[in-house]
Amino acid sequence: MTRSSVKKCLGNGMMFLAVFFLVASLSTGQAAERVITIGAPLPLTGPLSPEGQKQAQGYDLWAETANKAGGVKVATEHYKVKIVYNDYQSNTPRAVQLAEKLITEDKVNFTFSPFGSGATKAASGVSEKYGMPTIAATASSEEVYNQGYKYLFGTFTPNPTLTEPLSDIVKEKVPAVKKVAILARNDLFPLAIAQCMDASAKKRGFNVVFFEKYAIGTMDHASALTQIRGAQPEWIFATGYINDLILIRKQMGDLKVSAPVVTMIAGPAYKEFVDAAGPLAENITSASWWHPAVRYKGEDVFGSTENYNKLFREKYGIIPDYAQASASVAGCLFQIAIEKAGTLDRKKVRDTLASMNVMTFWGPVRFGETGQIISLKPPVFQIQKGTQVVIFPPEIAQANLLVGVK
Amino acid sequence: MLYLQILVNGIVLGGLYACIAVGFSLVWGVLNVINILHGTFIVIGSYTAYFAYIKLGIHPLLSIPIAAAILFLLAYAFQSGMINKVVAAPVLTTLTLTFGLDLFVNNLLIVAFKADYRKVILEHPLGVLTLAGITIPEDKLAAMGLALLLTGLLFWVLDASRVGRAIVAVRMDREAAALMGVKVKKIYALTFAIGGVMAGAAGSLISLIYPISPLNSLPFLGKAFVICVLGGLGSVPGAMLGGLTLGVLESFGALAFGPEHAVTLSFITLILFLLFRPTGIMGKRGYE
Amino acid sequence: MKRNLLLLALIGILLAPMVANNYMIRLATIMMLYCVLALSWNFIGGLTGYPSFATAAFFGLGAYAGAVCQGQGVPMYLAWILGALMAAIFATGLGLAILRLRGHYFAIASLVVADVLREIVNSTTNLTGGGMGFNLPILKLGVDAQAKLFYYLMFVLALLTVATAVLVDRHRLGFGLRCIKQNEDAANMIGVNATIYKTVAFILSAVFVGWAGAFYASWVNYIEPGDVFDVLYSVKPIVMVLLGRAGTISGPIIGAIVFLLMEELVWRNFLTFHAGVLGLIVVALILYLPDGVLALNFRRLVAWRKNG
Repeated sequence: MTRSSVKKCLGNGMMFLAVFFLVASLSTGQAAERVITIGAPLPLTGPLSPEGQKQAQGYDLWAETANKAGGVKVATEHYKVKIVYNDYQSNTPRAVQLAEKLITEDKVNFTFSPFGSGATKAASGVSEKYGMPTIAATASSEEVYNQGYKYLFGTFTPNPTLTEPLSDIVKEKVPAVKKVAILARNDLFPLAIAQCMDASAKKRGFNVVFFEKYAIGTMDHASALTQIRGAQPEWIFATGYINDLILIRKQMGDLKVSAPVVTMIAGPAYKEFVDAAGPLAENITSASWWHPAVRYKGEDVFGSTENYNKLFREKYGIIPDYAQASASVAGCLFQIAIEKAGTLDRKKVRDTLASMNVMTFWGPVRFGETGQIISLKPPVFQIQKGTQVVIFPPEIAQANLLVGVK
Repeated sequence: MLYLQILVNGIVLGGLYACIAVGFSLVWGVLNVINILHGTFIVIGSYTAYFAYIKLGIHPLLSIPIAAAILFLLAYAFQSGMINKVVAAPVLTTLTLTFGLDLFVNNLLIVAFKADYRKVILEHPLGVLTLAGITIPEDKLAAMGLALLLTGLLFWVLDASRVGRAIVAVRMDREAAALMGVKVKKIYALTFAIGGVMAGAAGSLISLIYPISPLNSLPFLGKAFVICVLGGLGSVPGAMLGGLTLGVLESFGALAFGPEHAVTLSFITLILFLLFRPTGIMGKRGYE
Repeated sequence: MKRNLLLLALIGILLAPMVANNYMIRLATIMMLYCVLALSWNFIGGLTGYPSFATAAFFGLGAYAGAVCQGQGVPMYLAWILGALMAAIFATGLGLAILRLRGHYFAIASLVVADVLREIVNSTTNLTGGGMGFNLPILKLGVDAQAKLFYYLMFVLALLTVATAVLVDRHRLGFGLRCIKQNEDAANMIGVNATIYKTVAFILSAVFVGWAGAFYASWVNYIEPGDVFDVLYSVKPIVMVLLGRAGTISGPIIGAIVFLLMEELVWRNFLTFHAGVLGLIVVALILYLPDGVLALNFRRLVAWRKNG
């Protein structure tokens, strides 16, 4: 290649760039309408799609219910609500990119976080940079909220609020338990909650005989399970997402690994888990941040837990679980905050959220210093005869803990 | 006791691994093409078995011929249509081509079937065998048995049939084979198709044991790489040995270093072999 | 005339952030990142003919090196240099080990290295956060200012890479690498120390990539092992260079720009299937445009000129 043609091509390329910018910057903005848009980057496809779909269901039910009731009241006017979905295909960097796109290009009023602690943490940097109030419907790990951010709020209580009651129950009701085995997915939330479990167990004098991580995408847990079997723990604690846990449970059966208590987070709360695991799901314990059996009367557009369950069942034909309910309440919280603040101004809405103290169908909502909710008591439940029954807190317990998982 | 169970786990896994890798090894050895599509072929085999079970009630072990047939046609088409054009081209070209093809086909699968994990849940699940304190799930055992059977079948075909001998001849020396009257382009297409068949069969077997998703294609491919280098290119006994070795290595590796390191261990082994013994455990010459 | 054109384009690039919104600036920053990756790969892949798939390994290593340093309080700019240094040192060691291999074996070894590094990062949870990811401190700068800052800094890195490429091209090193690509044994015979030249090329293919990785970490504020060690960071630069023309300087640049435009276009219009369309483009590229876009331009230009 001659030097002049090199220069020419370089120049061509740069002209390309320049023209590209000019053309792109001519893109028009949004037309002014009485609509509040909320950006929702979600994993609608990819390995986390089951969880992403649930979040979408929750948001949609809220938006529909709010709009049917006349919309969101901002000072003296009523605004319709519209959720702007973007699929980040379970790819975290894409989630961050989309979060920024929703803010700068789609110019949404507010945003919801992506799914899960990992992606929520990643995208929270963007919303903090732009001063965009964001509610995380599916992030519980404290590591997500320890950046000192002011614009991130979360509806899940911190992980220890799940592991502590669980450990108390086991210590009290199953004195035979001395040794604990922990198997965790090497991912933000599953690893974080496993570490909390480790701490909770040690605090009560249990002996943690096994604590290993498995890589994301692992399909064969035979080695880990064989080791667990060899250690003969009385309590097995496994973390991961629904696909992982179904696999682990099945392979436990294959290798005849059994224990008096088997706890799995976060999959057994879903009907899909019970369906896929069949008889193997019996007596598996778990904890989650909400359960349709709770009974609260709230200021939100649903009014009460029973009404929420009813509307959800009408729209989707199934009972809601905590993922969908959390997403719906995230929408409700934006609505309550906007209506209380009387404006769409981001700083004011943010301040209203920070000082909020309301009762909702989800439970009492009050956010702590870090933005994470601190006012809830998460339920512990067990799968008995194919359905999830609540065994804690005592106010709403439906049954007692059954011992023995084959 | 623990070690024996771990060993058995590894061997059972290894038999399956051998079936996964043998088609890939053959294609690499004969065509000197690294077929990135191999992982996706396996997944297609798995989906075939899954849908055959869901829609037609055919047990995955019995749908092997169906999966094999579909992949045969698919692979043959790909080879004669596209890959034959670049067979003599440098590594980069063939690798990038199969990578692009894989991206296309894999994403087609994701769009068609979603990336959600499917699982074949048998109406009458096979049980668990317990021998002297060692437990082996029967579905894994059946899969391993069939895998070894199929691999053995392939070996017999290569050894005893005319077409098989022609394939081996092309692998050894393309020009000489051509001079002997072997239609090299046809052999290439056939070999590639056989690679597809083995992948489809492996996929059928795998559907019994593991969840099915287009996202599993790359992990399968990774295993195939390691097994090929361990066992030597284009060699069926090599693939078997490589597969068993990898299975046992991963099993014990998980015990020694923790389950999350099993895959890393296999890759480090790969690198060490590449550096110090590129011809594999058995020492047969591969291509450069 | 040509000099004026170049100057105009340069001014265009410098002024562009004034009129473009943050998303566009982000896109342009990525475009320049791609230029850096493509030009870097060109050293070992295009010039020397060794199909390296190690770009992702260097990128991820630089990203984590920079991130961990920043986490320990090292100022950002210094952290980037450390990231680049780490990548370079790693490349030296790795190169000495695997550059002995040829063809497929070299390709696989380089491909697998990224996976191994990723798993190592995944396991050292205390240092790197492991599977939980690593958060970098946010700059005390407004969003718009940040976007512009990173844009200009990436531009500087890209210029540095181009300058190095030009230097290598004119220097004996470039000549030697081309000889190695043609015939390594013959090159050795005419006095080109293939081992040293190859290793230098490999190091060059790593240092700017590592820098870009550290840069990327500071830019996005949160990195995960699966994200920065993604195999696509190895594959995309290769496609970009093939798209342009391997072995030239403007080839990788044009390829990077065209690739990004295609990627963005495809992503916006085929959201669900965009990776598949990309795959199709790669296939079409290999089958019908083996010499790259640049070859096409050249011929067309020549034909135009001939026709008056």
